[in-house]
Amino acid sequence: MRILGLLAAMAGLIVLPLISSGYVVYLANLLLTFTVLCLGMHIVIGEAGQFSLAQAAFYGIGIYTSGLANTAFGWPLPLSVLASGLVAALVGLCIGTLALRMRDIYLALATFAFGEAMQWVFLSWTPVTGGPNGLRIPPASLLGFEIVNDRQAYPVVLAITILMIWATVVIARSRLGRAFRAVRESEVAALAMGVSVQTTKLAAFALSAFFAGVAGAMFAIYSTYIHPDSLGFQTTILVLTMVVVGGLGSFSGAIGGAIVFGLISELLRQAPSYQEIIYGLILIVFMMFAPRGLFAFIGDNLKRFARA
Amino acid sequence: MPDLLEVEGISASYGRIQALSNVSLRMPAGSIVALLGGNGAGKTTTLNTISRLVPLTAGSIRFEGQPLNRLQSHHVVRAGISQVPEGREVFRDMSVRENLDMGAYGRSDPAGVRSDLERAFTYFPVLRDRLKQKAGTLSGGEQQMLLIARALMARPRLLLLDEPSLGLSPVLVQKIFDIIARLHADGLSILLVEQNAAVALAASQYAYILENGEIVLEGASDALRQDEAIKRTYLGS
Repeated sequence: MRILGLLAAMAGLIVLPLISSGYVVYLANLLLTFTVLCLGMHIVIGEAGQFSLAQAAFYGIGIYTSGLANTAFGWPLPLSVLASGLVAALVGLCIGTLALRMRDIYLALATFAFGEAMQWVFLSWTPVTGGPNGLRIPPASLLGFEIVNDRQAYPVVLAITILMIWATVVIARSRLGRAFRAVRESEVAALAMGVSVQTTKLAAFALSAFFAGVAGAMFAIYSTYIHPDSLGFQTTILVLTMVVVGGLGSFSGAIGGAIVFGLISELLRQAPSYQEIIYGLILIVFMMFAPRGLFAFIGDNLKRFARA
Repeated sequence: MPDLLEVEGISASYGRIQALSNVSLRMPAGSIVALLGGNGAGKTTTLNTISRLVPLTAGSIRFEGQPLNRLQSHHVVRAGISQVPEGREVFRDMSVRENLDMGAYGRSDPAGVRSDLERAFTYFPVLRDRLKQKAGTLSGGEQQMLLIARALMARPRLLLLDEPSLGLSPVLVQKIFDIIARLHADGLSILLVEQNAAVALAASQYAYILENGEIVLEGASDALRQDEAIKRTYLGS
């Protein structure tokens, strides 16, 4: 049953660009990008339990690294995607080393401050980011073939997403993934098991930055323009809301949350002034009434309904 | 031949508050030694200094003749000391199986881990039926069993056991201490922290009594059970 559902979803995803308009394909690319961003946040918050609020900054680092790799160095696509992830992870390691001395709300504040600082860097480092004018991203090229529109980008974006989903599953099942959850559950007990708590937190932080960096590279494949305005705290909160709506700590929830909430936020683009109020409300409502996420909430109620 | 564990003149403090001063204790291999005392007497702090969770300000700790002072806390388990930390710290949202796997975190001998898992089930058969259940959904007694089983998965030569009787019914306390006796009979050395002095003295061969971070009395457990002052203060009779 589950396999069938998965196959159906795969088939749908593959034929999507053949049967739909350009806008739908653009939206699909965007949702897949947010899926990878959410997976990154899922690793650091959902798995390892460390409240990092710098996801947008790492996303931005990924975008600009990719842009630079294309324009300045003319690197092939796979290399620039990898570079985006690695640069973000490297910055993540440096920040994590400092920030992870703190915990809970202090960690959240430190990473928030880093995110704000990075947005300022994006706005000021004109040679690389274009500063307040934004940056025109040149088309990426794969095997000598230039990707100039959403439809051409889609298969590549989809392939990267599937690769990252696979990586998330592999990490979750590994010894490292178990250590993440142990640290989340109880640091003292994790220490008693011989887990180096600090190193484990750092690994989660760097991995999540890697995912965000790759998401940035994905964005750079189908987008032609980036402005620092869209790399601020708002984006981090959007990703956080997606992960919470999907169900904190659940891997499929992170994916589902990205897709469902991504669609909601796209609808809300018609009313930008209410956007943040509505995000906030949704976040509060979910924390209060469905803390385990939308899908667990629906599942529980279906069960209750079936019993009645 | 050195004792299994030699603690000499250790002191520790939390900020300005002196938690332990000049505590010394020794335990020979294959023994159960009890550490008794009231709330805040420093029992848990003593365990935590041995497992390096709390830093020493003075003194030394040797395990099998080797100094522990320099080890980082996550290396202590690899040296052969497993701790069951206070506060019933199971990994609540992880399955029983994952909890047990975490116990073997530092090991790289899958065959040995598998056989130790089977061995853990001989002490705690109930865990075999609970493998897929989340640890947080177990009863208090089952969680205590899981904690001990998890600590055993590291194949320790010394087990630091903190308040295994806490919050359990007398029947369950008896059950847990029966298992402790079996572990001892199979050769495991256990440093046992307890508030329940009666069961702890019955289970151990030697005991130390802590008050305000200092050892005020020590002796063979059998002798301490007959001691009038102990009876009045700790055994409630």
